[in-house]
Amino acid sequence: MKRREFLKLSGTIAGAAMTVYLPAGWTPAKAAAKWKVGFSQATTLEPWRVQFNKDIEAEAKKHPEVQLIITDGQDKTEKQVADVENLIVQQVNALLISPKESAGLTGVVEKAIDAKIPVIVLDRNVDTKRITQFIGGDNVLIGKAAGEYAVKLLGGPGNAHGNVVEIWGGMGTAPAHDRHDGFHAFTDKEPGIKYLLNNQSGDWKQDKAYNIMTTALRNNEKIDLVYGHNDPMAYGAYLAAKDAGRDKDIKFILGIDALPDEGVTWVHKGYLTATFLYATPGAEGLRQAVKLLNGEKIPPVITLPTMLVDKNNADDILKQNGLL
Amino acid sequence: MNPRRLFSRTKLYWGLALICLIGALASPHTSSGANIFLSYQNLTDVLRQVSVTGLVATGMTIVILLGGIDLSVGSVMGCSSVICAMLLTKSGWTPAAIMGAPAATISIALAVGFLAQFVFNGLERGRDVDAGRRREIVLGPWRGYRIPVLLGLAAGAAVAAYVVSQVPAKFGVFAVLLVTPCFALALGAINGALIVQGGLQPFIATLAMMVSALGIGRLTGGQDFAVIPVYTGTNATEAFEVLRSMVWGLIPMPSIFFLVTIVLFGAILRFTTFGRYVYAIGGNVEAAKLSGVKVKQVQFAAYVISGLLAGVAGVLFVAQYRQGKPDAGAGLELDAIAAVVIGGTSLMGGRGGLAGTFVGVLIFGLLSDILQLQNIDSNVQLLMKGLIIVGTVLVQEQNLGQLLARWRGVPLAPQPALPGSVEAARPPNAAKASTVREDIHEKT
Repeated sequence: MKRREFLKLSGTIAGAAMTVYLPAGWTPAKAAAKWKVGFSQATTLEPWRVQFNKDIEAEAKKHPEVQLIITDGQDKTEKQVADVENLIVQQVNALLISPKESAGLTGVVEKAIDAKIPVIVLDRNVDTKRITQFIGGDNVLIGKAAGEYAVKLLGGPGNAHGNVVEIWGGMGTAPAHDRHDGFHAFTDKEPGIKYLLNNQSGDWKQDKAYNIMTTALRNNEKIDLVYGHNDPMAYGAYLAAKDAGRDKDIKFILGIDALPDEGVTWVHKGYLTATFLYATPGAEGLRQAVKLLNGEKIPPVITLPTMLVDKNNADDILKQNGLL
Repeated sequence: MNPRRLFSRTKLYWGLALICLIGALASPHTSSGANIFLSYQNLTDVLRQVSVTGLVATGMTIVILLGGIDLSVGSVMGCSSVICAMLLTKSGWTPAAIMGAPAATISIALAVGFLAQFVFNGLERGRDVDAGRRREIVLGPWRGYRIPVLLGLAAGAAVAAYVVSQVPAKFGVFAVLLVTPCFALALGAINGALIVQGGLQPFIATLAMMVSALGIGRLTGGQDFAVIPVYTGTNATEAFEVLRSMVWGLIPMPSIFFLVTIVLFGAILRFTTFGRYVYAIGGNVEAAKLSGVKVKQVQFAAYVISGLLAGVAGVLFVAQYRQGKPDAGAGLELDAIAAVVIGGTSLMGGRGGLAGTFVGVLIFGLLSDILQLQNIDSNVQLLMKGLIIVGTVLVQEQNLGQLLARWRGVPLAPQPALPGSVEAARPPNAAKASTVREDIHEKT
């Protein structure tokens, strides 16, 4: 086969593959929409982001007057900047953005504001005061809720005792530090609580947490409570304990995020003791955008509340989401 | 061989021993006084943890020995984990089944066909009285292609029938172990075809595959499933747990995959014609081509093997961590390359081998384990790993006499160079001597 023939052939195959796959990723535009709302998502590789997109899409279905355009930054700042520029060119009536990082996206957000597009920032903020609204959860608050609950599980304020394994999310990410600080605001007051690990990061990943926990179990004969900065890591720690035959010794495993098909399911199955909701701002974001477009005034900051999910309410949440 | 040279040649193994020694001495102890690092469970844990990287590094070694590189293995592994998890947890013609079934059918059919042809060729060659002398082997139409084609078609049909029978229900362990690696093999074959036939640089072709495989993985999983959870016994067959069990309570299953694979390919590289061709091509492509080595076929095979092993690694990942996700292998290709390089295989090709890679993989795994047992901050761990890569490669590149000479402050004497080492091509004093001569020339 000559090189040119080969290239021609591979071109044809690639073309065929595209025609098979493209319809899966392509959604036709709604014709009769009054408002165009752009939403720039940072990435869709994490389950939480997937849930985020699901929430905003579900909310958009309730508003036929809104045409929602979602872009995916693919976890790259440059890509997300380009996405927002593209949305500005499309002259959206309002821009929702969940930035990958604060510094890199501030410039393009200001560019949108200069183009007279109101901007609602979701989850992580940008460095400018000119945005219309910020909606997000408060990770310190969630960490505190987890810490307070942990102290209660280990014997109550003043006489809590136990060995705690904390598995960090990504080092150098704000949510991990906030979830750490919030937790320690309560547990550090207890002299009976001992931390076994020194800043061990599972990088938000189930497999990394599994390996950290495997070693921690080898190293420590008594572990009472595991605190994972997100549910997959807490679940990874549970799996490691189970594979080592010690899942019964570890009394409590706490996670954060409470996605229906992850944390809540694991609580329901009894793998995790409890998890704390880190709600996605998807639905609320779109509701606020619609309010704004209809000429109502909206507050500059909305903090989404957290919620304890344990065996008492896990089943209800699963039923609400059609998973049970 | 004099003892110092022997020591110099085996320094990688001494490095491994040193790391083990450090691990044992620094290890924390259990309350009953047992050394945790040296405990059987800990060492088998390390062997299990390195299996995924090790499998990928095995394929990577062959590719690097050829002077190529395969950046796509991480993505291919992630994509395979998605395929595997989907086959296990969802019945019917899911995207995974639609892509996996033809891939398995075609790869097995081709593999059986070529194997038959290879065997006939070998038999014919064996009849030759003048064994050892090269000659063109011409087979008749039956043995040349008819029987291989028929056998290939039969095998393909059998596989297709078997896979299709698995589709209505969820896939079993054997079916997953058959289909997933075949799918990854197909991706590897695309890499190989682009490089060999399309004339693309390996770096570019596999970079493209790295990006595409991530996309394929995500599209296959669907936007709703960033992660596909596998609960053996609930949404997948319980038999799948075999792949993470301890075999006879002695050795973890993933490690067996890794050990068998690396020994098998080690033997292939050392004892077969294919293996010698790999070194010949890596050493000098032109010379190999002129000597009649079928360069393109060997290169193609290397990328296929690399893809295949990434697929196996994907299945083991799902078994161990009970999930399939497109980005499961993010950064894996770099870990594998690091292990290969620590093992002394040259990125230029033609020098190194799987024994080194095995040690390289173990050094990396043991180091992680020691740092983790010492409860060292994750950020410091990253830094330490970087230092170890640089350190080992520096030590690898020089022979021991030179290192010791520098420490003692003795000027470098011309060493009897190791065959195949960098020094063989460039005597240490040659450059210096020529500059001195120039100085003299200028003065006169």
